[in-house]
Amino acid sequence: MNTNTPHSGSKSARPSGFSLTDWMPKIVLAPTMVIAIVCIYGYMIWTAVLSFTNSRMLPSYKFVGWEQYERLFNNDRWMVALTNLGIFGSLFILICLFLGVMLAIFLDQKIRAEGVIRTIYLYPMAISFIVTGTAWKWLLNPTNGIQKLMIDMGFVNFKFDWLINPHMVVYCLVIAAVWQASGFVMALFLAGLRGVDGDLIKAAHLDGASTFTTYRRIILPSLKPVFFSALVILAHIAIKSFDLVQALTNGGPGYASDLPANFMYTYTFSRSQIGMGSASAMVMLGCILAILVPYLYSELRGERSEK
Amino acid sequence: MANLTIDNVKKSYGKTEILKGINIAIEAGEFLILVGPSGCGKSTLMNSIAGLEDVTEGRILIADKDVTYTSPKDRDIAMVFQSYALYPNMTVAQNISFGLEMRKVPKEERDVEIQRVAELLQISHLLDRKPAQLSGGQRQRVAMGRALARRPQLYLFDEPLSNLDAKLRVEMRTEIKKLHKKLGTTIVYVTHDQIEAMTLADRIAVMKDGEVQQLGTPQEIYDNPANLFVAGFMGSPAMNFIPSKIVEQNGVPMLELNASETTALPFPNPDSLKAYVGETVLLGLRPEMITEPQPHKEGQAFVVTTGVEVEVTEPMGADTMILTRINDAEINCRSNPAYPAKPGDVINMMFDTSKAVVFDAKSGRRLDV
Amino acid sequence: MKNNVVGRKTSGVDKALRIALYATLILVAGFYLMPLVVMLITSMKDAEEVRNGTLLSLPSYIHFDSWEKAWSSACTGSSCHGISPYFMNSFKIVIPAVAISTILGAINGYVISLWRFRGSNLFFAALLLGCFIPFQVVLLPMARTLGWLGIASSTTGLVFVHVVYGVAFTTLFFRNFYQSIPGELIKAARLDGAGFFTIFYRIILPVSTPIIVVTVIWQFTQIWNDFLFGVAFSGFESQPVTVALNNLVNTSFGGKEYNVDMAAAVIAALPTLIVYVFAGKYFVRGLTAGAVKG
Repeated sequence: MNTNTPHSGSKSARPSGFSLTDWMPKIVLAPTMVIAIVCIYGYMIWTAVLSFTNSRMLPSYKFVGWEQYERLFNNDRWMVALTNLGIFGSLFILICLFLGVMLAIFLDQKIRAEGVIRTIYLYPMAISFIVTGTAWKWLLNPTNGIQKLMIDMGFVNFKFDWLINPHMVVYCLVIAAVWQASGFVMALFLAGLRGVDGDLIKAAHLDGASTFTTYRRIILPSLKPVFFSALVILAHIAIKSFDLVQALTNGGPGYASDLPANFMYTYTFSRSQIGMGSASAMVMLGCILAILVPYLYSELRGERSEK
Repeated sequence: MANLTIDNVKKSYGKTEILKGINIAIEAGEFLILVGPSGCGKSTLMNSIAGLEDVTEGRILIADKDVTYTSPKDRDIAMVFQSYALYPNMTVAQNISFGLEMRKVPKEERDVEIQRVAELLQISHLLDRKPAQLSGGQRQRVAMGRALARRPQLYLFDEPLSNLDAKLRVEMRTEIKKLHKKLGTTIVYVTHDQIEAMTLADRIAVMKDGEVQQLGTPQEIYDNPANLFVAGFMGSPAMNFIPSKIVEQNGVPMLELNASETTALPFPNPDSLKAYVGETVLLGLRPEMITEPQPHKEGQAFVVTTGVEVEVTEPMGADTMILTRINDAEINCRSNPAYPAKPGDVINMMFDTSKAVVFDAKSGRRLDV
Repeated sequence: MKNNVVGRKTSGVDKALRIALYATLILVAGFYLMPLVVMLITSMKDAEEVRNGTLLSLPSYIHFDSWEKAWSSACTGSSCHGISPYFMNSFKIVIPAVAISTILGAINGYVISLWRFRGSNLFFAALLLGCFIPFQVVLLPMARTLGWLGIASSTTGLVFVHVVYGVAFTTLFFRNFYQSIPGELIKAARLDGAGFFTIFYRIILPVSTPIIVVTVIWQFTQIWNDFLFGVAFSGFESQPVTVALNNLVNTSFGGKEYNVDMAAAVIAALPTLIVYVFAGKYFVRGLTAGAVKG
């Protein structure tokens, strides 16, 4: 056995001072760290602070407590925007998920020209929401768009004027947004389907499961993580939606199709209501965090337990 | 070539102590193997020697020079990794010469060195290939070539063979041994494979829980394990541990054995057991010490033959392992394949205790030292 | 997943199902293609045909007049130079922003994956959260900051903003890619005598081509398609093309010219569409990166 004699003075001195190799990783990361601390978290706090002040055209630092939030939730236009977000968000997410899953399964049946079809389904994701909005504005326009097309084709009583109908205009947003994002959900699920262990499917077939049953009982349940990822991404797109509204409806008719992002922009920059604008931004942040924090938490924890 | 001294090295992450004061001294040209189960701290020790991890306390000396806080590149060390860690974008030749290039060795000298190493390892025909185009064994050779090219003072091998298949592993083992004999380099080699440790090492350091359990030549460690852990870890199949009561016969302590009949085994060093009469200890007996009766051993001092019941037989070709149960412990015996043994039979086996060791049943401490 | 069609004889039902499947897929393809087709058709009609025809009626002959007008003389807000100056602005913003954010992301990912230090993972988690905040919470403070820095209403300011809020994503991409590089590679290089930047430049960067392509394409698409920052932080002279397009479409003087609107929309979409067509594989990989594990 070793003898553990006490080593008096055998400890060599750690060189004190600056070792470039040790510090280089930290130095290199520093710019991004500054960016994150200032431009993400700093600004977030700044906006939070402004939401508790009576700032109007210029930031002021006279604190008024929760007054701006009270005004916000008494503001009819904000409540319309929130309601719209509820309708738009839930329909957009549900339809995208449904379409995405179905198309992914359809495309998974050894389809000829799968590549071409996939490319067609996914290209809207490469386009700006502004372009999407412009295109659909033309398509949904009752005087020149789909309504006219159908009437000219002989359906004289065909009516499709959602774009100018305050009660229906939010569904126009849903149509355009689904058109843009559902192909992406399809791609996510298709990648997930291709990642399913082939032996699992063979085993299910040997157990006598039909193709339908195999999907319902074996394959789709194993895609739960993809499902959650897609859900989070779609929710995130919905809450941040701004460009699409600007281009497709500009919030109209009136403010019937406003979403919170448009409300925030209008109140902060056009209406000189910085305090209330900031409060609305904070509510949006709250919505996103409510979805994101549990998700990131489970993701990071999962990653740790893998190691 | 240089000697290496590891002087009371400790390493902890927060409150967890990974290394609890390691002392090892290696002569120049010596082949030392660090062996132990995963999590024993052997890889951490290796990284500390290389300078890839800081130690919390203690010193590391290479060629009598304190390098505890020297950066890895200035320690003049080369390392062969388990994953080989070949640079994927470089050819074999570039991989081998990268270290020389970093040390600003002129191109002509580098080329000479590449040729020398390539010939030594028989990889001359692979020099222009990328690592992805090589087989596992070839990658392993390149990884060694990269280490050899710099002619460092000290070589570190971190489980270099564990990614190879069994046959290749044996081949490369021999190759490494030959290279060591030829070049006389100082090597520290980490493995969890105790056969590799036995076959390659000049000396072995068996580690567990951040401590060196025993440091010695392979034979010393095999014959004279310092404690129960070392005894159980080194050797395959593992040493048998038979819980056995010490009984006194004619004033001499003996080890009681309950097989088909009750008998007692003599012990080469009976005086050390005097204090334990009446207690139960663990008798350590390697499988090759329990065999079919061998006429030439008959009548020797520490040999007893008794009947045991066969539970399972495992033919291995050269030998057949016979599993039996003695004193309620499962026991491995090594017998000649020609010796008839069927499960359920009671057969005579010969117990040779001339190399037996005994341990305290609770602490695992060796008792007969 | 290739073996889910069991190899038994195709019955009539199976055949019918198969036809229905293809019909559905083609119908859906029509839904996705329609807006693009309509945009193209409309952009090639003259004003008369736009007014009298329907969405899908083809132009009697192909006009590129509206393309020319959209490019060089249509009115966007108060000026009437078409969208070409803004198209160029977008490039002025996109190229430096993509380059800087990609380089920063690469080096950040390198540190976070391969030179971990105490707190580097925490930092990454904090940065990750930054990927997902609604940018509305930073708009006003950022506007103030740009003013102080003297780069408000300039393309430089927009480059700055896009780098700041793009670096979280680029870091995420590179970090995930570099996670698969064994740490032993870095150890080997350090023992070989290579330093922090030498290892990056000589060993890591040469194997990073795929992730660089993915990141560049992702950033290009994101920044080109951005509207929020463009509209919030640009001046009349520095508008990106998305803002100009929106202004063009919403400009009310002189009656609606849908053919010009459509031409402008197609022009604005063209760069990202071209990238998508030629590098779709990498684009999809960028989209799914971080969303699907593995």
